[in-house]
Amino acid sequence: MTSTLKGITLKGSAELVAEFFSFGINSILYQRGIYPPETFSRVTNYDMSLQLTTDPKLKNYLTNVVSQLKEWLFECTVQKLVLVITCLETNEVLERWQFDIECDKSAKESSAPREKSIKTIQDEIRSVIRQITATVTFLPLLETPCAFDLLVYTDKDLVVPDKWEESGPQIIDQSEEVRLRSFTTSIHKVNSMVAYKKTDSV
Amino acid sequence: MDLEDDTTVLTTLKSFNSFISHSNNAPQRLSEHSAGNGNLQSQYKRSMELLDAADRVHSKNRYLQLDQEKKRMELSHKRARFELEKAASDSARDFEHEVDRNQDLLGQIKKLGERETDAAKNLSEQVELNCALRQNLKALNRKLEERDTRLNTASQTISSLKDEIRELKQKIQNQDSTTSSQALERQELQEQLDLQRRKYQEVSQLCQSLQAAQSSCSEHIIKIKELERCLTLQEQDIAIVKTIKSEAAKVPDLEKELKCLREDNAFLRESRENCSLLKEEAEGLRRKLERMQKTKEELVNIELEKERMAEKLQAWENLGQSTGLNIRKPEDLSREVIQIQQREIALKEQNYNLNSRVRSVERSQSELCAELSQQRSKTLEEQKKRETQDALVRRLQKRVLLLTKERDGMRAILESYDSELAPSEYSPQLSKRLREAEDILQKTQNHNAEMEGQLTKAQEETGTLKLQLQTVELELDSLKKHQASAADSNSLVNKEEVSILRQSLFNLEAARSRVEEQNSFLLCRLKQHKLIFIFLSQGDYDPVKTRVLHFKMNPTSVAKQQRQQDVEALQEEVTRLRELVRSLQDGGAMVHSQDDSSMHAPSLGLSFPPSKEVLDLRKQMESSELRNQRLKEVFQRKIQEFRTVCYVLTGYQMDITTENQYRLTSVYAEHMDDSLLFKKGSNGSMQLMETEFSKTLGEMVALHLHHQMSIPAFLSAVTLDLFSRQTVI
Repeated sequence: MTSTLKGITLKGSAELVAEFFSFGINSILYQRGIYPPETFSRVTNYDMSLQLTTDPKLKNYLTNVVSQLKEWLFECTVQKLVLVITCLETNEVLERWQFDIECDKSAKESSAPREKSIKTIQDEIRSVIRQITATVTFLPLLETPCAFDLLVYTDKDLVVPDKWEESGPQIIDQSEEVRLRSFTTSIHKVNSMVAYKKTDSV
Repeated sequence: MDLEDDTTVLTTLKSFNSFISHSNNAPQRLSEHSAGNGNLQSQYKRSMELLDAADRVHSKNRYLQLDQEKKRMELSHKRARFELEKAASDSARDFEHEVDRNQDLLGQIKKLGERETDAAKNLSEQVELNCALRQNLKALNRKLEERDTRLNTASQTISSLKDEIRELKQKIQNQDSTTSSQALERQELQEQLDLQRRKYQEVSQLCQSLQAAQSSCSEHIIKIKELERCLTLQEQDIAIVKTIKSEAAKVPDLEKELKCLREDNAFLRESRENCSLLKEEAEGLRRKLERMQKTKEELVNIELEKERMAEKLQAWENLGQSTGLNIRKPEDLSREVIQIQQREIALKEQNYNLNSRVRSVERSQSELCAELSQQRSKTLEEQKKRETQDALVRRLQKRVLLLTKERDGMRAILESYDSELAPSEYSPQLSKRLREAEDILQKTQNHNAEMEGQLTKAQEETGTLKLQLQTVELELDSLKKHQASAADSNSLVNKEEVSILRQSLFNLEAARSRVEEQNSFLLCRLKQHKLIFIFLSQGDYDPVKTRVLHFKMNPTSVAKQQRQQDVEALQEEVTRLRELVRSLQDGGAMVHSQDDSSMHAPSLGLSFPPSKEVLDLRKQMESSELRNQRLKEVFQRKIQEFRTVCYVLTGYQMDITTENQYRLTSVYAEHMDDSLLFKKGSNGSMQLMETEFSKTLGEMVALHLHHQMSIPAFLSAVTLDLFSRQTVI
């Protein structure tokens, strides 16, 4: 693991980013109330307490997606990860959490590990997750029952794996956008942003 | 000495060892030399000798050892002597120590004596101090006395203060007395208060009674009002009754009126039918009237027309006279008309022919003009060509002349050179000059050619200009000719203007359409840019390079499916519940109509599941009713048995007629109605009631009931009596 080594390799960076996504998605699901809070349990990571789901179906889905994402991060073929929250009654998109991933393609498997301490990366990740928690203050309340979906923007020439299929971008028309912090592992850079439907137009 | 002893020991040992080795060697040698001859003896001898030597050695050793011991003893003696001497020295030392100590002690004694003297001095000093202290004490005693005096004064003041305190206490006591008196007054006041309170209570009670009286009054008033209302109602009723009576009195009149009205009705109905018939007739007459009016009007019109036609006829008849033609009949007129028409037709034909001829002539004229102009232009061109040709010819001639001149010149030069060649050889110079001359020639020729080219160009330009001029002049002439002819000239100009305007219009419209296209194009681009902007900010992707993927079994789709299923399930449940409600409502109506004894569920054929409680309660109810029934049956049976047994054994049938009244009928009764009535009193005793049958048993009643006070005896007596009467043996 990269925690024992001094530098960051491509594999280690992919694992860090995948781990961030796993915890970030759980935090968003907990904060926005997509799943009831009693289905979440508290764990400690990045020197802070985070919420992790205990629902087996959801856990299974997330592990599938995150493991596939880790592969793609290792191959540097993924461009964005988007978490879309749709209202079940009206089938319209209410919120869109977009994470842009910029991969430094020059860092191949065999290249030397990059000098960046795990501590700084974890601090950056912690600040991003804290910001996600703070967004609850200004995001509009989700009153209707909602469900979420994870979209991955990849290169066109990628082979579509078994359980995946193509989908639309699920854009919100008339949206308000807020840019959040970004963090970088010196191989992968992740920019975060949230777009939500303007409440006046609802 | 020791060393000597040691050396003697060592020497003895050495000698012993050497002897033993000798003895060993000797036996060996001996054994070698004489192997089998007297070995044993020699050996025995040798062994004996050896033993002796050993003994000697041993004794020597012992002697040496004893010597050593002796030396040791001496050594020990010496050591002991040393030790004793040491001890003596030690004791001497100790003695000296003791002496020293004695001296020390003496010194100490002296010191102590000195101290004693010092202590004595201290004592004297202390005595002096004591005296001083006693004096101090006396001073202090004096001070004490002063203080005592002061204390006395203080005590006196204290006593005075105590007196004051006593006075104050007396005052306090006085005040206490006053307070007690006031307390007594307070008590008195409280008693008065109590009295007042009691009075107040009585008054309140009176008030309450008053209020009760008032309420009763009000109730009475209300009752009075009600009664008054009833009275008014009754009065109203009376009034109504009166009116009804009056109306009732009117009834026979009304009946008469009714009859009259009915007759009128019948009459009116008949008249109505007549009316309808009359109405129809009237309508028919009206229509006839209208038609007659119309015919009248038509008549009038026709008469007018007739007059007009007569006038026309007259006019037509006069026409013949007015025109002077031989016209008497319309046929002649028509003939004349036809003739005129024919003439007209012929004239028109001629006109058309003339027009066509004129047009063809004009066309030919215009063609001829065009041909003329063409021919003229051709002639001009021909002229020009000819002129150019002449100019060319002249130029060529000039050139030829120049060339011939040059040739002559060159020939002359050549000849001169040839003539000069014989004397001297100037070939290089000649060739140079030749070349130079050729160059000059070429240059002049080029210059000539350029000039000629420019000339031809200029001439061509002038020729073209002249052509244009002439064509324009021709057009002008033709235009003037056209202008001189009919009104077509103006229209031509107008047409030209119109065509120009139209062209400008066309151009402007084309420009406008172009501008509109550009505008729409720009709008499209703007929209595209907007969309692109939105996409870029929100995650648009270039379909060529990226692709969006998501998991097939993603939570949104799962949730949507779940929702769909929930909705369907809820709808099904809703329909099912509605049916249930409907069935329950119908079933409830059925249950109300049936009796409680029917324990079956309403037979509707619907399979609605009744709740468990209801089923249990129904079962309980059924079981309890069954039990009741069984108990009833059992009781009845038992009662019946008991009654029959009583009847059989006692001979009396006992019936309960009413509460506490029992009627007894005997087995042997002669009539059916013969019965005894007994009543159970409040205290529990049975009394015989008067019946017809009991009147016949007066004796037995007197004997058994009044005298013996025994009802069973009486009853048994009655049975025996009846039995005796019954049985006839």
